[in-house]
Amino acid sequence: MSRPVEIVLVYQSLLGIYGDRGNAMVLLKRLEWRGIDATLTIVEPGEPLPATGSVYLLGGGEDAAQISAVRELKADGNLFRGLENGAALFAVCAGYQICGQTFTVGERDEVIEGLGLLDVTTRRGTERAVGEILTRWQRPDGSETLITGFENHGGFTYLGQGATPLAQVELGIGNADDGTEGAVQGRVIGTYPHGPVLARNAALADHVLEVALERTLEPLPRPEVDELHRQRVAFVRRQGLRA
Amino acid sequence: MISATLARRATPAALPLAVRLRLELATVAGNVAAFASRLANKGSGASIRGQVLTRIEPQAFSLLVRGRRIVAVSGTNGKTTTTHLLAAAIRAGLGGESGRMVTNADGANLHYGIASALSQARRADIAVLETDERVVSDMIAHGRPEILVLLNFSRDQLDRHHEIKALGRSWRIALERAGEAGPTVIANADDPLVVWAAGTAAHVIWVNTATLWNADAALCPACGTVLRRVNQSDGDNGTWDCPGCELTQPPASYVVGDGSIRLPDGSIVTPELQVPGSFNVSNAACALAAAIEFGVDPSVAVMGMRTVTAPAGRFASATFAGTTVRLLLAKNPAGWAEALPLAASDPVILAIDSVAADGKDVSWLWDVEYEQLAGRTVIATGPRAQDLAVRLSYAGVEHVAVPDLREAISAAGGAPRRSGSPPGAIDLIATYTPFQKLLKLAGLR
Ligand SMILES: [Zn+2]
Repeated sequence: MSRPVEIVLVYQSLLGIYGDRGNAMVLLKRLEWRGIDATLTIVEPGEPLPATGSVYLLGGGEDAAQISAVRELKADGNLFRGLENGAALFAVCAGYQICGQTFTVGERDEVIEGLGLLDVTTRRGTERAVGEILTRWQRPDGSETLITGFENHGGFTYLGQGATPLAQVELGIGNADDGTEGAVQGRVIGTYPHGPVLARNAALADHVLEVALERTLEPLPRPEVDELHRQRVAFVRRQGLRA
Repeated sequence: MISATLARRATPAALPLAVRLRLELATVAGNVAAFASRLANKGSGASIRGQVLTRIEPQAFSLLVRGRRIVAVSGTNGKTTTTHLLAAAIRAGLGGESGRMVTNADGANLHYGIASALSQARRADIAVLETDERVVSDMIAHGRPEILVLLNFSRDQLDRHHEIKALGRSWRIALERAGEAGPTVIANADDPLVVWAAGTAAHVIWVNTATLWNADAALCPACGTVLRRVNQSDGDNGTWDCPGCELTQPPASYVVGDGSIRLPDGSIVTPELQVPGSFNVSNAACALAAAIEFGVDPSVAVMGMRTVTAPAGRFASATFAGTTVRLLLAKNPAGWAEALPLAASDPVILAIDSVAADGKDVSWLWDVEYEQLAGRTVIATGPRAQDLAVRLSYAGVEHVAVPDLREAISAAGGAPRRSGSPPGAIDLIATYTPFQKLLKLAGLR
C-alpha cells in the first residue's frame, strides 16, 4: 500500500491569521471524500518540517511573522527538500510574498530576502488592497474558471521572467493592479485571495492536489460548495457594477 | 460606610462660558436627534446623539471626559461585560450615592458613544467607560483616567485593523506620555501583547486570568522572537517567556483558578456570577481588581457584580413567534472559542454576517473549531450562511442553511429536540450585526 498523501500546514501561528488553515482542511477532506488516504501535519516554528510532504501550505501574516518565517524555513531546509522531491507548494498572501526574491516590511520599507521559490518581488503598493476579488483562471486543459476570494494586502507583487500569472483580474487589485493575479512557477503557486480560497474554489483545490499527485482526480460533486462559489461571484459582480 | 478613596469627589472642569453654552446647545440638539431616532424605531439613538453633539461641539469628547474620575475598560473581547461588572461593583460601593456614577452601558464605546453617555449625566463625577481599543490613547490623553483595565488583544476585523500590534504600540506611547500622572493599569498578565502595551505605564496591577496563550500571540511584540511556554506541568499551563529579550509573563497580584479569584492578601473569592462561562470569571477578576483599587470593599464589589444578568443583551433570552432563544455574541475567533462551549442546545443556531461591523472577510470561520458541534444539528443563518454551511460540511457537522433570521429561529423551534438535549432555550450565537438585529426585534434595545 502506498504512503498517505501528506498535507503540511506550515507555521499556523505565524502565517495563518486569515483562516488559512482552511485550505489544509479542504485539501485533506477532498482526498478523504475520494477514498484517498491522507494526513495533515501541522508544523509550528521551532519544530522541523517533514521533507515528505505532498503539499505544503503557507498563509497570511504580519510583517514580523514574515521575517521570522523566512528565517526559520531557511534554517530548517525541509521545505526546499520536499519541493525537490516533487511536492507542490500553495502559498497565500504573506506566504506568497515570502516565496519571492525580495519583499518589504515596516514603515521604512526594509527590503527582506525571500525564499526564492517564485521569480517575483513585492514592494509597498500605492494603496492597500482590501475587498472581494474575482479572477479568471485558465486551467491546464485550456478551460476558464472564475476564482473568488477576499484580498487584504499592502504589498504589490511584480512578476519576473521565471513566473507566470495564475489568473487575470476581473474585479479587484491582484498582484499590482496590473490585471494579473498570483504566480506559478513549476509546482509552486502563489496567490493573494483568502476566503479561504480553496474552500470557495473547489476546482483550484483539486488542481493543487492534481499538481502534487501528478494525476487526474475523479470529479467530486458538492452542490453546497458550488452554491457558495455562485453566491460570491454574483456578489462581487453586483458590487463591482455599483462601484 | 464609603471608603475615603471612593468618597473623594472630582473637581468639575472649569469651562469658559462660551464653551459651556455651546456644549449645552449641542447636548440639547443631540437629545432631539436621539429622540427622533427612537421614534423612528432606529435603536437607542446613542450614536446619533454623539454624532450631532460632536458636529456642533467638535471637542465634545475631550470636554465631557474632563474633570471626572474615570475608570476605562478596553480590550478585544469582554469589555462590555467587564464594564457592566465594574459599574455594578462601584455602584454597590457608592450605595446611596450611586447617582455620582455614569457608564456607557449600551456598549457604544467610540468617541461618539462615550460623549453621548457623558452628556446625559453632566453632574456625575465618576465615569465607568467601555472604551474601544482605538480610543484608548485619546482617553488617556484627555480623560486622564485613574484606572485603565486592559483585558486582552486578539484578531478582530482584519479588513479594518491590519496589525493588532499597531494598536498596542499606540497604548504604549500614550501611557509613556502620561508618565507618573497616568492611570493605574489593571492588565492581563497572560496576554503578551497586553503586557508589552502596559510596559510603559507607571503603575500596573497584573491579573493572571488563566486564559490560554492564544494563537494571536506567537511572536514577541517587542523583538519578534517566537515566544515559548515555561514551567508547564500537569494541569498547569505554565507561563510565557521571550527567549529573545527580557519580556516575560509578570507575576500577578490577582490570580484566577477553578472559578475563583485569589486576591493580593491571599483570600479567595468565588464570584458566583449570573453571566456564564469561565471567561467571565476572568473578566470579573479584572473588574474586581479595578473596583478594589477604586476603593470598593471586595465583598461589596462581588455582591454588586452578582446583580449583572445580561450586559447589553449578551446571554439574554428572547422569544420570537413562540420560540425562545438565548442570545450569545461572538465577534472573532477568540469570542467563538468562548461562546461555543456554552451553547449546549440541539439544534443550535449560528448567525453570520459580514458588513463592516462584523468584518467583511469571513475567512475566520476556519479558525473556529466548529468540529466540536459534531453530533448536533446546526441551523446556519444570516447573509453568510452559505460560507458557514461549507465550513460545517468540511467539519462533518450536520446542518441546514436558512439565511433569514426569523425563519431560522422558527425552523429551530419546529425541529425535534434530540433525546439528551438540555431543555429550555435554543442557543443562538451571532456575530455583531445579527446580534444587534435580534435585540431590536426582541425589543431589548
Ligand atoms: Zn522579545
